[in-house]
Amino acid sequence: MRLSNQILTLLTLAGLFALSACAQMKALPNLPATHPEALAAGPVSCSECHEDQQQGTMKAFAAFDHSQIFIKNHRLFAASDDSLCASCHKVSFCADCHTQKADIKPATKNGHRPDRMMPHRGDFLTLHKIEGKLDPASCYRCHGRANNEQCVACHR
Amino acid sequence: MKKVFCRLLPALFLAALPAVVHAGSSVDWTSILRVQQDSGGAQSDRLVPLTQFVGVDVDQLGDGNLSAHLYGWLTLDLGEGRDRISQEEDRVDGSLTYGYLQYRFNHANARARGGRFFVTEGIINEQVDGVSARTDLPYGFGVSAFGGATVPTVSIPGAGTDGKGNGIFGGRVNYRKGGLLEVGLSGIYESSAPAPDAVPVGVLAGSFGSHRLLGGDIWLSPHRMVQISGHTSYNTETEKIAEHSYLLQVTPRKDLLLSANYDERNDRDYFYSSILFSNMIKNLGQESRVLGASATYTVSNNAEITADYKRYSRDIGDADRFGGDLRGNYLDNSLRTGLSYHYLRSGPDFAIPPVASASGSFHEIRGYAMHQTKTYFASLDVIEYLFKEPVQNRDSAWEALGSLGYYLAPDFALSGDLSYGQNPQYDEEVKGLIRLTYNANLGKGATK
Repeated sequence: MRLSNQILTLLTLAGLFALSACAQMKALPNLPATHPEALAAGPVSCSECHEDQQQGTMKAFAAFDHSQIFIKNHRLFAASDDSLCASCHKVSFCADCHTQKADIKPATKNGHRPDRMMPHRGDFLTLHKIEGKLDPASCYRCHGRANNEQCVACHR
Repeated sequence: MKKVFCRLLPALFLAALPAVVHAGSSVDWTSILRVQQDSGGAQSDRLVPLTQFVGVDVDQLGDGNLSAHLYGWLTLDLGEGRDRISQEEDRVDGSLTYGYLQYRFNHANARARGGRFFVTEGIINEQVDGVSARTDLPYGFGVSAFGGATVPTVSIPGAGTDGKGNGIFGGRVNYRKGGLLEVGLSGIYESSAPAPDAVPVGVLAGSFGSHRLLGGDIWLSPHRMVQISGHTSYNTETEKIAEHSYLLQVTPRKDLLLSANYDERNDRDYFYSSILFSNMIKNLGQESRVLGASATYTVSNNAEITADYKRYSRDIGDADRFGGDLRGNYLDNSLRTGLSYHYLRSGPDFAIPPVASASGSFHEIRGYAMHQTKTYFASLDVIEYLFKEPVQNRDSAWEALGSLGYYLAPDFALSGDLSYGQNPQYDEEVKGLIRLTYNANLGKGATK
């Protein structure tokens, strides 16, 4: 079979797959835009109410239990399930910490919430000179390309 | 440009105010007036900045699927001013963190966005002015894509650039098998990084360039007690792996959670597109590895205890951090407490300054308690660092922060924070803050 025929066959198959996929899109359900019931204060364990529940292509709800491990590593989950996060969290919840340009460190803005895991509590101005050498990637995740004025003032 | 922005941002906020009366909207309004007095250090400062945060989400616009989202802040420095990078900086500053329109389709978790927003997909973590779209596809597949302009940041002094290209696009394809597996492939391509006016002092040749990455991510749960998640990214400019980051979670019992994490970075490849961080490689070395483990045991419905350990390996030496914390929730979650201790054992290469007689080791002790009712909230948070060797002639640094707030209405609170501390930077550091918050959710359902 000539190369052009092979490409034509592949394109035809891809087109049929795309048509078939589009026809089935309406069968794929949406996650709810907001959580239908009031949520308890503080970290929530999804599996308290959704124990052993798993629907369609979703991950088990227990994967999103807000343990300390989950909260410290939430970036790994937000990178693939932000639609699920959005069911319970407004985007501004993320912006409490994740702002490319910040005027107040999150721990100060939320000083009335010591239970939340906010970075840079206490005398981090001193500590960052040790922590930065220890694990610079932990700084980079938030400050990497933001060129925050507080960083640039010294690190030129 | 900055003056135009600082006038435009309040105009945007004012334009968003009608959202307050829209049935499907929510508003987050936080005004913070800070007073900070530092004395006894290399410099004494008195700062009085007033910062206004505004977040607005307006849902159910148009046919009900359209929504608008806005979040930003403005600061007005009422005091004597602070150290600025440029003398041209005035006392007003601000930033639009995000502002976009979103259309949420009725099926397949499909959505489209336009405006300024964050993209977090696989290895992608970007702030973009542009458009994006994502959808689930049949047979467990999914796809997302975005494109637009990069969001400018502060130029590095001397370099005359923020190190970012002008345009950026990327996306992710993924496959899911329900409850068992998700794998994703993602990539990002930014137009060529601008050449700095002058290479900042310390930048190694070939350590800075364009932001172009490919990566893969995985979530795997071969058994309901086991989860593995993580990603690997590859820098197509340096043609080397930039990062591996993986997490293993095991839940052998409902009240016991074990975890292990492995992170490895090739710093030159990981920091390559940051003109700020690539500048530090000379002093930081190239390889960075972190191996960690933790165990969390839920003692009762009210308390959990965690023990954790981390091993840091770097070109300049190794370090260990270990410790634990105890967290409690009482009185129907209205009283929350925490107590933690950690010790960082690190050599003189991590010290301040890194000389043979110094040490980078220190103890960290923290305790907090907070009580929240429908009428008031109060908290006390104390943190202390005990240095193994003195840092700038100080054996320790500590800070105590007390906060007291009163709900003027269910959605409207007035609170104040007061902190006092001593540290190597300042003999005394006193900070006060008055906070006015309005968090209203007029839409259906619950959000946090």
